[in-house]
Amino acid sequence: MSNVIQIVILGLALGGVYALMASGLTLIFGVMRIVNLAHPVLIIAGAFVTFWLFRLYGVDPILAMPVAAIALFCVGVILYKLIFEKEAASAKYSEMTVLLTFAVAMIFDGLLGWLFTNTQRVTTPSYATDAIFIGDVFIPTGQLYAGVASLVVIGLLLLFLQYTRFGYAIRATTQNRAAAQLMGVNVGLVSLITFGIGIGLAGAAGSLVSFIFSFFPAKHWEWIAILMSLVVLGGMGKLGGVIAGSLILSVIAAFVGAYIGSTWSTMTFFLALFVILLVRPQGLFGDKIEEA
Amino acid sequence: MPELLEVRDVVAGYGRGPAILTGTSLTVRPGQVQCIIGPNGAGKSTLLKAISGLLPVRSGEIRFEGERIDGLRPDQILRKGICFVPQERALFPRMSVRENLRMGGYVIDDKKVLESRIEEVLRQFPILRERAHQRAGTMSGGQQQMLAMARTLIVKPKIVMLDEPSLGLAPKIVQQMFEIMHMLKDRGMTVILVEQNAIMGLNNSTWGAVLDLGKTLFEGPAQEVLADPRIKELYLGKAKAAA
Ligand SMILES: Nc1ncnc2c1ncn2[C@@H]1O[C@H](COP(=O)(O)OP(=O)(O)O)[C@@H](O)[C@H]1O
Ligand SMILES: [Mg+2]
Repeated sequence: MSNVIQIVILGLALGGVYALMASGLTLIFGVMRIVNLAHPVLIIAGAFVTFWLFRLYGVDPILAMPVAAIALFCVGVILYKLIFEKEAASAKYSEMTVLLTFAVAMIFDGLLGWLFTNTQRVTTPSYATDAIFIGDVFIPTGQLYAGVASLVVIGLLLLFLQYTRFGYAIRATTQNRAAAQLMGVNVGLVSLITFGIGIGLAGAAGSLVSFIFSFFPAKHWEWIAILMSLVVLGGMGKLGGVIAGSLILSVIAAFVGAYIGSTWSTMTFFLALFVILLVRPQGLFGDKIEEA
Repeated sequence: MPELLEVRDVVAGYGRGPAILTGTSLTVRPGQVQCIIGPNGAGKSTLLKAISGLLPVRSGEIRFEGERIDGLRPDQILRKGICFVPQERALFPRMSVRENLRMGGYVIDDKKVLESRIEEVLRQFPILRERAHQRAGTMSGGQQQMLAMARTLIVKPKIVMLDEPSLGLAPKIVQQMFEIMHMLKDRGMTVILVEQNAIMGLNNSTWGAVLDLGKTLFEGPAQEVLADPRIKELYLGKAKAAA
């Protein structure tokens, strides 16, 4: 029994981090219909910001989250201004954005590899290697803290979207772009800020990634598929769906890892994606597929 | 004294496609219900999209109270006082009725003013109050249309443009929509109404304009337009050609 509880808790903690990693991706897709293949490499950029803050100044990785978030927010705003703003008017928009984000991923991959080399890194705050026992349930504190921190950030994001005027504008643009414009929303500005927020969330996720996984610049290729499957499962652009999907799948993956074998754990995501695409292409939590 | 809205020789189309509006002109005077009729595909919806700023104007000009508005973004045009309820109704399907009303007042900075106007609308439309927490996308077509039209009361624009508010609704509900339209007019809004059903549209309007192939054919007082033999020709001619 304690074993099961432990698996569930670890699954949820990791699921929280995955949810944070995927939330920026789904937010950006929702507002701009951009499938941002550069998202995972920007998570790694956030991990590097955190790594160096820790290494050089001893800043705690969790406390470094806002710094990484703001730094990556700025990167997002600049990327949007440089690349996507003009593209938004083009007829081949969606094909182009896939290519463009792929190019951005390559560029950051190369840049980070050149700056920091492709060696494994990890930040090592004391809690990263600690564990707590509740009864005979064993929980690594690093993953627990990362999971809780993720859920806090996601909670703040949801509150922002639900209750602020700008949050209304983001949700409205996601649901019906033309209608949002007709209500007086400047969707160009909303796109810019949302892109910044989405990349900022990648930065925040990077802070947590820096101590629960070891990372190196080229590692992002492994994550693209997992994050994409989470976004599709959640119903493309639906934040609630992505969060629920991440938590559920991570728990399932944790059980698969514990009882079948750890190599099968990652397969859970792809298998789920495969099944969902066949049975329910709009995603676990998506509405019926709408006409374009 | 400039006209309220003046559309002159507007050419517009979608993307790099051919021009759909091929030199459309229209004058809208305050306080009336101006009906635009014309056969399916004439460019009526395209004209409203061009006025609202959703579709860029390639040439010609649009003036609102004497000021050029073509080239402005839709949100800027709304802030000037032109509100557009498109054929698809422009609702946010996963937002509640109340949230949709809040979005309707997105440009209102004062939160108290916004909430009091939402209250006003909910008082006027008890069905909407009953369904205040229901997702807009799950309501019937008539209720959605009612919400879309009632929502314009929150910004109190000078012009409201309605694109086929009767589309797909049962006759009894259609009557309700026209009543709401007259209510908007009584609140001081000038209405531009697009209708495919010429008789119903013109009977509910003061002024009529006939659009075909992206051009204004003729316009005049609604009853005169209705009696004009060219109307019959336009509609029946098309029907015959199609048969
Ligand atoms: N989104 C669009 N993209 C390309 N062509 C369009 C689009 N919407 C309408 N059209 C074309 O514009 C023409 C006029 O359409 P529309 O303005 O909707 O006519 P109406 O409202 O008078 O029935 C039609 O030939 C239609 O095919
Ligand atoms: Mg139409």
